[in-house]
Amino acid sequence: MMGRLIRHWIPFLFFILIPGLVVLFGYLMPGIAPLTELRDMMVEWAVIISAFAFLLGLLNVLQVHGRHIRRRRSGWFYSLILVLAMLLTWIPPAFQSLGLDFLGIPVSSEAQAMLATTSQWIFDYVITPLGASLAALLAFTLVLAALRIFRARLNAWAVIFLVTVVVVLLGSIPFTTGLEWLTGIRSWIIDVLSTAGIRGLLLGVALGVIVTALRVFIVSEQPYSES
Amino acid sequence: MNLLAGAILLLSLVTLIGVYLILRLRKKTQTAVRPISAFQDLKVQASYAAESGGGIHVALGNGSLYGEDAITSIAALQVLEALSDEAVAYNAPPIITVGDPTLLPIAQDILRRAYERKGQLEFYNAGQVRFVAPSPVGYAAGAGDVASGETVTATMMIGAFAQEVSLIADSSVRYNTPALAAVTTPTAISALYPAIEKLAQGEELYAAGAQLTGEDRYMAGLITQDVLRFILVLTILALSIATYWGIW
Repeated sequence: MMGRLIRHWIPFLFFILIPGLVVLFGYLMPGIAPLTELRDMMVEWAVIISAFAFLLGLLNVLQVHGRHIRRRRSGWFYSLILVLAMLLTWIPPAFQSLGLDFLGIPVSSEAQAMLATTSQWIFDYVITPLGASLAALLAFTLVLAALRIFRARLNAWAVIFLVTVVVVLLGSIPFTTGLEWLTGIRSWIIDVLSTAGIRGLLLGVALGVIVTALRVFIVSEQPYSES
Repeated sequence: MNLLAGAILLLSLVTLIGVYLILRLRKKTQTAVRPISAFQDLKVQASYAAESGGGIHVALGNGSLYGEDAITSIAALQVLEALSDEAVAYNAPPIITVGDPTLLPIAQDILRRAYERKGQLEFYNAGQVRFVAPSPVGYAAGAGDVASGETVTATMMIGAFAQEVSLIADSSVRYNTPALAAVTTPTAISALYPAIEKLAQGEELYAAGAQLTGEDRYMAGLITQDVLRFILVLTILALSIATYWGIW
């Protein structure tokens, strides 16, 4: 009885129901100052907890890829590069935020500036270009997927999908040689068909979200403890 | 104050319908659910993974437990819970990738509990759940690499994704491993529709619990969704007609 109270009801009451209601009513009743202050404080706590989760994520990456390297699994070299890159990215800001007094050795202001420049350099010249390259690659995978459509599904919907894609793409080109009418069809597809479809989809998703959230509130859904 | 009244009315309505349906379902026997191929095929893929000595890759996306995608992530965790039980029973543990570290301990706990329920806790390996990258494109690239692994027999993409999910799907197609998906955003749906046959779209993701377990609590939630949808459709139609005739 006591065990169930501690394991089941106390987490539910203090970590789900009360914070949930405070945050919900904090948004619904913005005029009540103490409630909105309490809401903001709880949202801040959530952000702090999520920062700790990042530390867990970091350790997880080290654990998984460290094991790959130790056991010389296929692709272990890439794991090694990943771990080294991660440490290289992580160490300069960590030194900076720790006050740059590592193992009792004070670090000069020049070194401070160098560490700040290094992390900014890594961000500007490694992370951002790599992200942009992957985003560019995405365009090719989307086109490839469209070309492969008949492999995944051979039906009338696939034909409609492909024809719509072609019309919308052609309609986006500023033609001046008699194909201007495609622009009107493109606009109609986007403004009427696509918008109506997306709204219907989002309304369905919103209902699903409400029902699932309510299941969490009434303890029917417990991703955090024994079921 | 109108916002508050509307929210309380909606929540009360959902609670009343849900509680009524749970009580009703306990007395009745079976309720039919429209089969969704993405979830139906998941159990088949779990048994196939066991036969071939591999495992299913479950990509949970970039949703977190505190942002706007929190509920989508919780719905994705339902699928993971049902799949973990199957996979542990077949001795084919899944590889789970997450793009937000708040999902990491929850996913690890779900897998651990599946082992605990089968009395095989000594075989649990926390490294089966992997944090890949916090940025959506970086996550998709990393998860795509996992999807192309030698021991992966199928990939399930479920949770909060955008168009970058195409990178994971492309990896599955290139390595000829079956891919299943359940996503809610229009960008992810349009990216996956041409690439994947077994695709659960939009609200179908929230039907996963009912599809995979058939438990009363999930069935009640599903029927509540349907009832609310009917009410919403009728309201939209009535308001449209009223506006057309100048009554509203």
